[in-house]
Amino acid sequence: MNESAASGDSSSGNQTISPKPTAKKKRNLPGTPDPDAEVIALSPKTLMATNRFVCEVCNKGFQRDQNLQLHRRGHNLPWKLRQRSSTDAKKRVYVCPEPNCVHHEPARALGDLTGIKKHFCRKHGEKKWKCDKCSKKYAVQSDWKAHSKICGTKEYKCQCGVVFSRRDSYITHRAFCDALADENAKTPLAAADAAQDLEAGLSSTPPPPQQQQAPAPEDPPPAAADVASSIVPDNRSDVTELLDSTSANPSSSQILEESPNVTSFAARCSSSSCSGSSGSSSSNVFASLFASSTSSASLQPQTTGFTNIFQSIAPPDYAPDAAPSSSSEPVALCLAVNQGSSIFGNAGQERRQYPPAPQPALSATALLQKAAQIGAAAPNMSLLRGLGMVSSSSSPNSTEEWSQQKMETNGGSLASGLGLGLGCDSGSGLKELMLGTPSVFGPKHITLDLLGLGMAANGGSTAGYQL
Amino acid sequence: MKAEARGKNPSPTMSSMQNPSLFSNSRSSISGAVLTGCLSSLDGACIEKLLLHCGSALESNDVTLAQQVMWVLNNVASAVGDPNQRLASYFLRALVSRASRLCPATMSFKAAGIPHRRLMSVTELAGYVDLIPWHRFGFCASNNAILDAVRGFPKIHILDLSITHCMQWPTLIDALGKEPESPPVELRISVLSWRPPTPPLLNIPIEEVGQRLVNFARYRDVPFDFNVIEVGGPLDEEETIFSSSFYDFLLSQLNATMVKVNAEEALVVNIQNWLRYIPDEETSSSESSCDGIMSYRDSFLELVGRLSPCLMTVVDEDCDLGAQSGLTSRIVACFNYMWIPFDALETFLPKDSPQRIEYESDIGHKIENIVGYEGPQRIERLESGGKLCRRMAAMGFISVPFAEETVKEVKVLLDEHASGWGMKKDEDGMLVLTWKGHNAVYAGAWVPHDLTSHQNNLLV
Repeated sequence: MNESAASGDSSSGNQTISPKPTAKKKRNLPGTPDPDAEVIALSPKTLMATNRFVCEVCNKGFQRDQNLQLHRRGHNLPWKLRQRSSTDAKKRVYVCPEPNCVHHEPARALGDLTGIKKHFCRKHGEKKWKCDKCSKKYAVQSDWKAHSKICGTKEYKCQCGVVFSRRDSYITHRAFCDALADENAKTPLAAADAAQDLEAGLSSTPPPPQQQQAPAPEDPPPAAADVASSIVPDNRSDVTELLDSTSANPSSSQILEESPNVTSFAARCSSSSCSGSSGSSSSNVFASLFASSTSSASLQPQTTGFTNIFQSIAPPDYAPDAAPSSSSEPVALCLAVNQGSSIFGNAGQERRQYPPAPQPALSATALLQKAAQIGAAAPNMSLLRGLGMVSSSSSPNSTEEWSQQKMETNGGSLASGLGLGLGCDSGSGLKELMLGTPSVFGPKHITLDLLGLGMAANGGSTAGYQL
Repeated sequence: MKAEARGKNPSPTMSSMQNPSLFSNSRSSISGAVLTGCLSSLDGACIEKLLLHCGSALESNDVTLAQQVMWVLNNVASAVGDPNQRLASYFLRALVSRASRLCPATMSFKAAGIPHRRLMSVTELAGYVDLIPWHRFGFCASNNAILDAVRGFPKIHILDLSITHCMQWPTLIDALGKEPESPPVELRISVLSWRPPTPPLLNIPIEEVGQRLVNFARYRDVPFDFNVIEVGGPLDEEETIFSSSFYDFLLSQLNATMVKVNAEEALVVNIQNWLRYIPDEETSSSESSCDGIMSYRDSFLELVGRLSPCLMTVVDEDCDLGAQSGLTSRIVACFNYMWIPFDALETFLPKDSPQRIEYESDIGHKIENIVGYEGPQRIERLESGGKLCRRMAAMGFISVPFAEETVKEVKVLLDEHASGWGMKKDEDGMLVLTWKGHNAVYAGAWVPHDLTSHQNNLLV
């Protein structure tokens, strides 16, 4: 016997049409029981108990007495299947033991034991079952199974071929899709969508498939997409060739929609502007700064990679630029200590060459020590000097207003345009960092060196930074 | 890793970071154990600390310290690492760019366009906004609130101020198409010709977007009109959004005539991820009608109120990065906040996913503005939901609570996404999207206090 939506998969939702006047189809409220029914309140423990009926012979547990009886036949034990007589058994309804729950009230009790069990599990239980595809979680195993069957299969398919798992993303796409523009005069959406909405049997696809380029690192990626994104210098020529051959132009991005898998990357190249090289001089400083400081074997970044990286100190590009000049490599800033790959280096081959190291080889402590030693090791390597600005005097300028944009090349105050002013300090900041008392904030404290290094280790750090 | 720590302990550490007295008493407040524990593992807390020090170093012009911290950060950050590392790489880029900027004018955020950002196609943008429920949450909540507010009106006019190029409206048009009323409700949507210079960027003009909406509405049998309000004139290519005259002009265009307010229509003002671009510095604005000190943001709200909309929906990011925040506190707050989308993307997209990288890169663009600039060039001035509520109340707006149906719809929406997304309803009546318990995006609805009676006469 089924009482409204008490049992079965609650996601099916195809109930009788509600008499309510609103446009939305609503299910009958679950839990509107027969007023004559007997109300039973089970404890949470009882509800969650799975196998209450145990075979005396083999100790196998069953949820229902009927099942145990059938099992007993196998042991040649006497068994008895009780027929449910409709005359004497009063209708039973069950309330949820959770006091805050809407089904706690007898007026909203559920009519099916299995139903109340599942309800309790779903609403008030821990969600132990997780779907692999979409990471939705369920408390009831049968819910999870039912979801897994349909996950990714119920899909909305646009006429352009793209598939969606959710209606709102499908609608949004549909509104702007070129396929719509072609068929303005067609019949209304309702009929057409009904046919498209449920495409059972389609394998699930991760949303949204149109934009994905290389699905997995090990697949040989479409040549266009990944070669174009590589930062390794020897691939640059490929980029140039590629861009030339596809005759990139602004309208080519339209092609993207019609043939999503073809050279869309190249198309995007054309629409993004070329990054200027204005930042290159400053970024070269950083390249050399960081490169020189890593003379020791343990910190050995790939200098080429770093140079390329810092040449694009300007805001990052997602796609490589049209101009194949060295200053316009669209790579991301900074990497871990021992790798030189770009975040845009999606080529499977490249990634194999440069496996990403999620953690640098050294701990923060060691890095800070190293940083403190940089100054001592490379006294000429000063940020400001490397930028081509040599200053003999320092005029501290603590304001960072954009109105002061004087670029003075030699001497004088270094770019307030640098946004830094000239902090001519003793360089003790890093030591303070390690000790935990940045001098910038408050009075200096002679604290014990937490790292056990003592002051001596950092004594040499200040030597190099004379501005 | 901080990611796990956040899950267990929702209150972020930033509250302690923002307190400067914490550092003046080093022995007592930063115990040795804490600092050593932080530095011994390169997790989010450590990165946050490094960023904090870098920011303070820049604020106090300690070049040496800044340089050294940047070097350390460079070795910690990774564009292909975990969310904290990826986020750190964008922060480092912003800090480096700030530190090494030679001539700010050449790299400033011009209103004319953002350099070096990819232009998406409109269908790509449709996918982009649905990558995570960041935008869809606001769309869903606002659209439902709008439908509730305009029920019974024969004509609707929506003034759409947003950065997502009308991605919100197909679902609204679709919902209107499903309503069985006859005659069908007429919808009109207006946008401005100017848009804040921030990603996501589109490769077609807004007029063309509107044309596609028109086609779609026709397809759904919804009478629909789209128009672009020209706020041109002084706002041409050279004009940047850094001068007060820009905002003076913009606000002067937000009147009943320019917006073409029609007495027969129910007016809705929809502000989605847009309010943060109106400066909130407390200055006396020339458009201010009162003698007091008002920011442009206040003036803007006042103007909206004067249009007598029957509803005003505001969706924005729940973080305080307004005019008053100093660099260091901004860096910390921004790091802790931007971790949210980074972590969300991590849960279901692989490390080298192009969509994920692009999404992160757009956030990186915002970080660059928030961290790398000061004064008028810092256009991203986020305001938390709580502060906005107080501002709205101060400007004479009354909060309109979201209906239970709306809350359910949003819940259903979030159920379809990864399980870390949640939602809460705060005491101000706003809905807040949460990720692992952290506030991400808020959605609120208001009406002006002195809603004129003619609005009521329009009800059929």
